[in-house]
Amino acid sequence: MAAPRSWKDAMVAAGAVAVSHVPEASLGRADIDEVAGAEPVEDSGVAVHAVEQGAPAPLTIRFLDGIQLWKVVYYDGVLPIVRAHVAAAVRSRGADRRLRTADEAGRDCVVACVAALRPAVRAALEASGLELVDLPQDEVSQPGRALEAARRAVERARVALEKQLGERCAERLGTDEWLVVDGVLSESSVLAGHPRALAVIKSHAAQYFAGPELERALTVAPGHRTSVFRPRGRARHEVYSWYQRLWPWEGNDVLFGLLRVEARAHEDTVRAASRIGGWLDRERAPLATPDARWDRLLYPIHDVETYLKARAPRDLLSAPGSRLPKTGT
Amino acid sequence: MIGKASAPPLPPPPPPPPPVGHVVATELKPATPYQFHFWTANETSIGIGAIVRVEDPGNGERGTGNGKGETGKVVYGVVTDGFAYSDLATPLHDVVGAEGDPARAAESPTARQEIRLWTAAVLRQIPEEPLQPVPLGGVHVATDADVARALRMDSYLGGAHPTAIPVGLYTSGGLEAPVYLDADFLLGPEAAHLNISGVSGLATKTSAVEFLLSAIFEHFPPHKGRIAAVCFNVKGPDLCFLDQPGTLDAEDRRRYERLGVPAHPFERVCYYAPFKADGANLNTLRTHAALVGDVEPLVWGLREVLDFAEVLLNRDDIDAKADAFIDFLADRVVDKEFADGFGNVHRVTTFADLDKLFRAVFDGLELAGRSDTWRTHHIATIRKVRNRLANISTRCKGLVADDGPSNDLPWGRFEDRAVYVVDVANVDPLGQDLVFARIVSKLREHLERRDLGVDAVMVFVDELNKYASADGPDTYVRKMLLDISERGRYLGLVLFGAEQFRSQVHRRVVGNAGTIVFGRMDSDELATPGYQVLSPATKTKLATLPIGELMVRHPHFTPIFVRFPRPAVLRGRDGVERFPPAADLPFEDAVVRQLVKLDRRIRPNQVKDLIADRLEQDVRRALATVRQTHPEDPLASLRRLLGTRVAPEPPPAREAVPPLTPISEEPY
Repeated sequence: MAAPRSWKDAMVAAGAVAVSHVPEASLGRADIDEVAGAEPVEDSGVAVHAVEQGAPAPLTIRFLDGIQLWKVVYYDGVLPIVRAHVAAAVRSRGADRRLRTADEAGRDCVVACVAALRPAVRAALEASGLELVDLPQDEVSQPGRALEAARRAVERARVALEKQLGERCAERLGTDEWLVVDGVLSESSVLAGHPRALAVIKSHAAQYFAGPELERALTVAPGHRTSVFRPRGRARHEVYSWYQRLWPWEGNDVLFGLLRVEARAHEDTVRAASRIGGWLDRERAPLATPDARWDRLLYPIHDVETYLKARAPRDLLSAPGSRLPKTGT
Repeated sequence: MIGKASAPPLPPPPPPPPPVGHVVATELKPATPYQFHFWTANETSIGIGAIVRVEDPGNGERGTGNGKGETGKVVYGVVTDGFAYSDLATPLHDVVGAEGDPARAAESPTARQEIRLWTAAVLRQIPEEPLQPVPLGGVHVATDADVARALRMDSYLGGAHPTAIPVGLYTSGGLEAPVYLDADFLLGPEAAHLNISGVSGLATKTSAVEFLLSAIFEHFPPHKGRIAAVCFNVKGPDLCFLDQPGTLDAEDRRRYERLGVPAHPFERVCYYAPFKADGANLNTLRTHAALVGDVEPLVWGLREVLDFAEVLLNRDDIDAKADAFIDFLADRVVDKEFADGFGNVHRVTTFADLDKLFRAVFDGLELAGRSDTWRTHHIATIRKVRNRLANISTRCKGLVADDGPSNDLPWGRFEDRAVYVVDVANVDPLGQDLVFARIVSKLREHLERRDLGVDAVMVFVDELNKYASADGPDTYVRKMLLDISERGRYLGLVLFGAEQFRSQVHRRVVGNAGTIVFGRMDSDELATPGYQVLSPATKTKLATLPIGELMVRHPHFTPIFVRFPRPAVLRGRDGVERFPPAADLPFEDAVVRQLVKLDRRIRPNQVKDLIADRLEQDVRRALATVRQTHPEDPLASLRRLLGTRVAPEPPPAREAVPPLTPISEEPY
């Protein structure tokens, strides 16, 4: 028996899978490192099921996504004043396969700790007519903390807008129409309980399994899904969920092409999981390039994001200019 | 205000149509004063050649769509190029998405975002100053009024003396707007001449000219006087049935109505064709019994030919000696009593007389044993000129009569709105050159003297690349075409030239054409430098242009695509099917037919008895005299003429044809 040529060959021979890239998103959130836990619903543990290839997709699907853009526009002393824009849109896809905007909403606001601002600055800000989002004073003691607080405030605004738009859309959804949300369903009772609402989650900061079950979940093959389970932990409203692989991960990263899907916590979801997985699988095309998350980003969601960015205030989108000091006067 | 009924309020004006596109400008694709880019929905009526209106939105981002723009600035443009692309970063991503299976590529549940991006050339900005880059405003489909303004037609459509001539319909986005040419720039004096290019076989060039002639006859401004057309039929039966109605469908009739041109054939058409070699049957495809009566024979004699002897001589022949000898013949010999110096007196009026003179000279020199010179002309020069002149009477037998009177176009009696068709399709190329040179020279001569009968003449010449080729020999015909192109507009002599390859026509001929028309073009032709100014999309459209559509360039506007109805005349090919040419008649029957045309009471047997046992040449000469004099009793006249030798008719006083003005070397 010939000896392995190198340690890499040895690793592969031993069963390790060679990869070459770790997407930033796969690192997950640093503040969540616990295993949330899951309750098996479909099977007694984590099993792997093939999705129904060729399952027909609903004729009309609405896709919901939101964006948040923000930038520090002033400092009052060392207190940052942030201008933010959050927006969300629902784009509907019909028989002609084209996406058209069905609903949208946006908010422009200024985020700052109003109480900590000097009176003149505060007066000018209040007279500006812009919506003010106040930050608690204890979160802005340092510029870095203040920025993190502002980011969280903007994110909350975006999530609230998405929820508002999603619920409005869900209420108007036709009997044969579906809603696909970029994010989670469990933030909204309306969405979490809707029979034709789905959420596709691209980031996998929260893990629900450990040990062999985690391995089975994260190495599920393309065209397959895991058993339906009930996520535990931070979910506000009960939903069912499953992992599904869109693209082979070998050669990339273990989270490459991996989606987590959320749907109503109902036995119908279990029955429909493979069918839904089948038409979600077809959403691999067209690729959502040039977005770096194309392996998990459905093209219609990417389209909603492009649409929202196209309508966002230009100054928040513009590429940063040179930070060299300006010359002259 | 009791008892006084107030007028009902006017209904509110209809809301302006929404824009169909929006101007975009990036650093790589900026808007300039001459060009801009805009996008439209994927499903749009905009296409290459469409005319659009851009409204300046002013300071606000969104225009009001009030038709003027908030700042009042309006820009008109014509679409010259189009682009479509999606958000696909690289073709490889499509392959990956379809997993390498082309069939699956069409099955993706979402259609990618696409853009329809158009490039337009600015036609006009209002106000015209200051000339600035096109504003980033809404783009609207042009209306009838917009088309008129965009093409600057408003300057000649109205006023006390409108000079608009409809050339076709601009059609785009459901709009159908007439496009007009300015008569001052089509027929002079500001600019003149029309050149039309296109591949052969689609009948586009001929059809377009036929329609345009109809439009000119209908809309020629009264203050500009009278106009006629002379058309040279140089191939097949193209122009042989201009007086016969063609087949039009409802769409054609609607277009005629929209353009204000009557959908009927030309009312006054005169056909001229030389005889065949037999001197009795006409050399044309319009020989059907029902039509041949309208065809006048075109017969020229020595005098007519000698005035244009230069046409017969190629560059090698034209030397000072030959030229001097021809001048000697024209000035001292022809139509005069002339003593040859060997004891003979000649009166040369025909080719036959001239040949007798030559023989007498050769015999005289030989018998006298004198030198090789006669009247200072070397015998070799005399022989050369004799050969050339004899050659024309041989090669163009039927057009050039050895003897007998000539029959020509009605110089001085041209009728208003008449078409004179000269059919030289089956004539030897040398004869074609002669016909062309002489007729155009006579037109020029009469127009200079203002005694033609009309104030302007359009001369239609097909196959211009043959008569005025860019790289061919410097012939008399080409010189004359250059002269018309450069000076004709002052005289009212307008050249309508057509050719397959514009690049092969002399650049001063095409360069002087104020109006350029393109039909479907050959791709090779479009690759030549003359078409570099056209965008690739315009070239592609030109290469695939359907029958009935043209691209027109006029001094008032940049190229625009128009559609025109089929001409209301019978097409040549259809004409020969409906009126098949008659077989050549025996000499006696041909003579009968010509006499019956003069007097329907004449019975064939009377004629046949009369000409039996007569020499054909005597009959031909007598018949020509009868035809020209139009006697009350043609048969009696023929009998009288055949009774004795028919004396040749005394020639008219010679009217010198002024020499061509030396042609300037200036290109335009």
